[in-house]
Amino acid sequence: MSRPDRREASQLRALNCSLGQLNRADGSAQFSAGNTSVVSGIYGPVEAKVYEEKLDRAVVEVKFRPDIGAPTTKDKWMESAIRNTFEREILAHLHPRTLVQIVVQLREGDGSVDSAAINATSLALVDAGIPLKCMVTAATCAVLSDDTTVVDPTQEEIDAARSTHTFAFASGSPTGPLYVDSRGEFTMDEYNHCYDLCALATERVLAFMRTAIEGKVTKEAKISAA
Amino acid sequence: MGETGQVTFAMQTFERIHPVEFQRRFLSQSTRHTGREFMQFRSLQVIKGAISTAQGSATVRLGNTTVVCGIKAEVCEPDVKTPSSGYLTTNIELSPMCSARFRPGAPSDEAQVASEHIHRLSAHLLDLTHLCIEKGRAAWSLSADIVCLKHDGNVLDAAVIALVAALEDLRLPRAEFDSATGMVSAERTMGHVEVQRRLFPATFTLVDDVYVVADADDAEEQMAAASLLVVMDADGKLANIWKRGAGVMSKENIELCVQAAGVRMAEIAKALQ
Repeated sequence: MSRPDRREASQLRALNCSLGQLNRADGSAQFSAGNTSVVSGIYGPVEAKVYEEKLDRAVVEVKFRPDIGAPTTKDKWMESAIRNTFEREILAHLHPRTLVQIVVQLREGDGSVDSAAINATSLALVDAGIPLKCMVTAATCAVLSDDTTVVDPTQEEIDAARSTHTFAFASGSPTGPLYVDSRGEFTMDEYNHCYDLCALATERVLAFMRTAIEGKVTKEAKISAA
Repeated sequence: MGETGQVTFAMQTFERIHPVEFQRRFLSQSTRHTGREFMQFRSLQVIKGAISTAQGSATVRLGNTTVVCGIKAEVCEPDVKTPSSGYLTTNIELSPMCSARFRPGAPSDEAQVASEHIHRLSAHLLDLTHLCIEKGRAAWSLSADIVCLKHDGNVLDAAVIALVAALEDLRLPRAEFDSATGMVSAERTMGHVEVQRRLFPATFTLVDDVYVVADADDAEEQMAAASLLVVMDADGKLANIWKRGAGVMSKENIELCVQAAGVRMAEIAKALQ
């Protein structure tokens, strides 16, 4: 079965990202895959409120704002997913008693929003110069009603899918996924197949993100040399 | 002071002042402080229909964790987008009554995330078209309130089981829509609503970054690095695999958890009878 946007089953949508668009944030990134677009801003390390500060590490706080309307429990769920993914990857012990605030704004949601939000946040953290263990990349797969598995599904495909699977991986530590959310009706074989497909897809996303960061760093180096 | 100069405490004192070390002593010996094995769940007790004022209810006890689910049914107008479907809304309440961890006032983040997750899981529990009374005019709106009375870990499992049990207990009066007056009249006869997809949850917790234990209690949850929720349906298919927490669970560990969830399914099915 061909996909609505004529992509191959394992083909990602056109990726686009830009770093440092927000000038008041310590670091920011915009990440988009096709029509899905997310902006992530990092503020930190900044002073933490007395009641939330931790003596030996930085506190990581995530705010997720939807594209339309006021935040709901859906967005709380997303905040907890992003926080869980990054809590260990940020070297929080290097900045004790501070706060790292991650603000994620959804610009347009056309499927695979959770993976786009994780990718945008990963780029923004690098842009902000927050010490990280490694880069985190995420990808989404969907198993359609005719048993084909597609990577980076659009909302239309997700709505018609039997199951959707999102995984986040840390670069260079293949021990296991940092984030797993598989939903719908599926078997363990389908889960494993999606796991492998997402692992491959995150490698491609990671390569893309590396190029973007390299591009920005080289540009900045040229400006400072001039 | 002992003769060797070591400080000795009563076990309870040790547990209070060094909770993490206390748990570690057990876990490193491949056992748990309650005497359970790593992959052993607590005993499950389901009581259906305990609340007579609700259209459907269930009380679930999972060890010391107790949750109650009550379902209230109201008649309302269906959504324009889905004129022949009713509604099922779920909410979970974690009040200061169940644990000292929760403060009065607005629901905690933990409660909101749990609520949202149960809401997502509940999407295919019922065939919502069975709740339709008259297309485009009247439908049943079910609100399932899940209240935690005692929080001793793994509330999400208990909540999902309670929701399924309460839906199985649900009795709705046969309702007729009168198009002349636009009123809905309910008859005395009550009918069941078939549960389309029964769900069987199982939670596994990565404790202290090393040990994977099933059905963690509150003390074990306090030192959890991550937890994995595996939800299966009656056909043995998976409905959800969801990892919470920042710890890394290996692919092999996740596969083991899914296998154990399949075994757990039979226990839950038995308790639901």
